[in-house]
Amino acid sequence: MALEKQEKRLVAEKGEHIIARHLIEDDHIKEEKNLVIDGVDVSGRWNTFITTRVDSEFDRAFFQEIKETVVGSRINRCWQCGMCTASCTVTPLYRRFNPRAFIYMMQLGNLKELKKYVDVAWRCVGCYKCSQRCPKQVNPAEMMEALALLIKKYFPEELEGKLKIDEEVKKIYEDMILGHGRLDLAKLHTSSMQKMGKTKDLIGKIERDAIFKMAKDGRAFSILRLGKPHNWGKSKDAIENYLKNVKTIENEAM
Amino acid sequence: MDKLKENQAAYYPGCALLTIDRAYNNSSKLVSKKMGIELVELQNYNCCGIGEMKSKGAVSMYLPLRNMMLAKSQLGSKDLIMACSVCYHEFTRSITRVRENKNELVEVNSIFKEADEIEGEFTPDGEARHILEFLYNEKGVDEVKKNTVKSLKGLKVAPYYGCLYSRPSMYTFTDKKPNLDNSERPRFMHDFLEGMGAETVFYGNEVQCCGGRNVVSDEETSFTLCSQTLSKAKKAGADFLVLICPKCAGALDVNQPKIVEKFGEDSELPVVYLTQLMALAFGFSKKEAEFGDMISDPLRVLKEKGF
Ligand code: SF4
Ligand code: SF4
Repeated sequence: MALEKQEKRLVAEKGEHIIARHLIEDDHIKEEKNLVIDGVDVSGRWNTFITTRVDSEFDRAFFQEIKETVVGSRINRCWQCGMCTASCTVTPLYRRFNPRAFIYMMQLGNLKELKKYVDVAWRCVGCYKCSQRCPKQVNPAEMMEALALLIKKYFPEELEGKLKIDEEVKKIYEDMILGHGRLDLAKLHTSSMQKMGKTKDLIGKIERDAIFKMAKDGRAFSILRLGKPHNWGKSKDAIENYLKNVKTIENEAM
Repeated sequence: MDKLKENQAAYYPGCALLTIDRAYNNSSKLVSKKMGIELVELQNYNCCGIGEMKSKGAVSMYLPLRNMMLAKSQLGSKDLIMACSVCYHEFTRSITRVRENKNELVEVNSIFKEADEIEGEFTPDGEARHILEFLYNEKGVDEVKKNTVKSLKGLKVAPYYGCLYSRPSMYTFTDKKPNLDNSERPRFMHDFLEGMGAETVFYGNEVQCCGGRNVVSDEETSFTLCSQTLSKAKKAGADFLVLICPKCAGALDVNQPKIVEKFGEDSELPVVYLTQLMALAFGFSKKEAEFGDMISDPLRVLKEKGF
């Protein structure tokens, strides 16, 4: 069940049976109706060719940068087998979400190519199927976190656009977890709904019913029980201090 | 605080179980006690980071590991038991990482030193354990059978393991745990449920993801994944979807009315926690097992089935 729009069409799209078709530019695909090569008629199913492409805009320094982060430390191990993409929960929903290809682009430092996927790159649900099955223990699930760091650092303008909501929700989590030491789920829910401009949903019937139920059975007030870990201030200061001094993009991107 | 006695174990509730998911918390304690282990709550614990802090270097490991340190200093326990799969993931991930990378252990310890709250250095000699794996390995299916006073015969259940209980095995399974569950086809929950007399159905989405991580920022994906799971289980004839993670409950239970609104009644299926069903089988009342807390209304089906 793909979530991306699929319009009805009468004619087959160019190169549509190529797996991960999105990775190839239109004009690199050659399709001939009738084709004879070396005297052999290869019309029909053999009629699709991909012409050679030369990529040159790399920045290999970038590779080292990823390697130094906790989440991206195993990037050098990837041998591009594609098991991660084949296992991925999100790929069937968003065809352009392709962990193997993202890792390749990160290995090369091909920022130009990566930028094209900013709109789907953050959709990983963290299910770890890829990491479970990866034969090289690359831990692609966490590599997707490294990718998010890169996007933040190199395409900050995207954070104002497409990635704004994701970023703001992350911020709510951070403020609660690092600031207070515990997560108030009710507050998390309402503040993120507001950030996403869904305040109207909050007073809709479904939400109202749930809130009413939890008020009735007392859970709505249990948040008072949650409290805050005693002495959390000490940890908070130490964490802030640590983050100030880290040298990796984990810090720069914050 | 006193150190633990022999039949006690250190327990980390986490943020969800103390509040919205009290049903899971309370039933976990009830059934553990029946099976001979008292769960003693850790005091002053902090949030595990819920997977949102992974890009913050050593901080993502400090958060769970501070609780491991607390367990040692407060309760004298190297190990810590938890019922939330996300917490379990964060703990096992951190423990594995600092075991494998000495430099990361040094970094984490530098934060501990700076915080100057708990005495001593952190050493990764303890384990984080998920309550399902813990009860299975320490007590076993026979203990479940022994304690079952009210058979669940007649109930058809769809066990749902989700992601982080069993994946990735490089984090979750260590040799300290004598029986290892299978990462691709886990079976511990099946064994427990069948031990209590329930019938398990096969529906194909046992280890599928609920999209819980993005449930706040990407409802669309989560709703789609959840509706697939719910409708498949329903089609296989299940009366309940059975969970072992509060995050899954957020996606599959709390959001269910919205999912049904979008995808139709095929996705309407009562959701319960494993420990709630265990409590029921062990002779506790429906009220004690707090079935009424679930949004997806399991009480109606229980009544229909004569429970
Ligand atoms: S499964 Fe592992 S080795 Fe294979 S492409 Fe994915 S990350 Fe690379
Ligand atoms: S963790 Fe992310 S990239 Fe890996 S399989 Fe799951 S959704 Fe795909």
